[in-house]
Amino acid sequence: MHEYSMTSQIVESVLKEARRHDAKIVLQVRLILGNLTFLNPEQVTFWYRLITKGTIMEKSRLSIQRKEGTVRCQRCEYEGNFSYEDDPLYHIPIPTLLCPRCGNIVEVVNGKECIVKCVKMVV
Amino acid sequence: MKSGIKDVVKAEEGETYDIELDVNILEANERLAEENRKMLSSYGVEAIDVMGSIGSGKTSLIEKMIGFLKNRYRIAVFKGDLTTTIDAEMIARHGVESVPINTGRECHLDANLVSKALRRIDLSMTDLLFIENVGNLICPAEFPLGSDKRIVVISVTEGPYMVIKHPFIFMDADVVAINKIDLAEAMAVDVNKLKREVKSINPKSVPVPTNCRSGEGVREVVKTLGL
Repeated sequence: MHEYSMTSQIVESVLKEARRHDAKIVLQVRLILGNLTFLNPEQVTFWYRLITKGTIMEKSRLSIQRKEGTVRCQRCEYEGNFSYEDDPLYHIPIPTLLCPRCGNIVEVVNGKECIVKCVKMVV
Repeated sequence: MKSGIKDVVKAEEGETYDIELDVNILEANERLAEENRKMLSSYGVEAIDVMGSIGSGKTSLIEKMIGFLKNRYRIAVFKGDLTTTIDAEMIARHGVESVPINTGRECHLDANLVSKALRRIDLSMTDLLFIENVGNLICPAEFPLGSDKRIVVISVTEGPYMVIKHPFIFMDADVVAINKIDLAEAMAVDVNKLKREVKSINPKSVPVPTNCRSGEGVREVVKTLGL
């Protein structure tokens, strides 16, 4: 949903780091996107190509790693994937905050990330 | 070997650098939200997000809650909209502080806008703050503002699939008001099914059927919020 503004911030933070190292060119940017964010990787890539045009990031490769949403249960100490409502009507499974093991309420641990993990650049 | 500091190791000209950056892009908003939260709690202000679809009745619900609460709490309302101050003026007529926040083109409030609005009110004269977000069931879920509790408002006139089409916003909701229940029959919408769907996505949340025109169910929303 906010792919343009998010991607602008991603590019800005990489360029800032590149300037700090007097980099000539950025080769690669590795991004981690949680499955619970509203960021569509395809749209992020689309904006990335447009926003980096004319900068030292223009030819860089953007690799996006999806991170699964995970939850933790305080009652049975389950930690792992969400359970899903899987009604054929929904087309995609709907995540629920019920513990898949004991049915208690769980809290979200992972899945809300949008992290610039690492950058490869030539100095 | 001679002791003392050695020369700094640097990449040679043309060498490749691999840098662990680990920058969280959503963190800027989260940090500001945390500052808002601290400021509100230092003044003992309880802040409640009101989110929900366009025209679902967010402002009507706030107006009705003010009716129940204004004798016991000093209330302020932040009213997020793309443009206009129509709703903010409507709320101000109830004799509470009302700050319009116009986002221009943005589809959600963020912690920065809320922090600016916080400077417009006298927090020492405020007990309760409602922050009404822009009508939207998607974006506000991604931007915490610094409040303590969250209400999501949907209504039966949006059809029977509002909950399962937008599951994420319900994950952080404490109360889900299912509004305009007086129209449920005409809309052929099963309110109990909506309640079940809310509960299955987020068992912690409490779905409350409401009619914010007559006031039905509003007392229960207030009670569920612990007010």
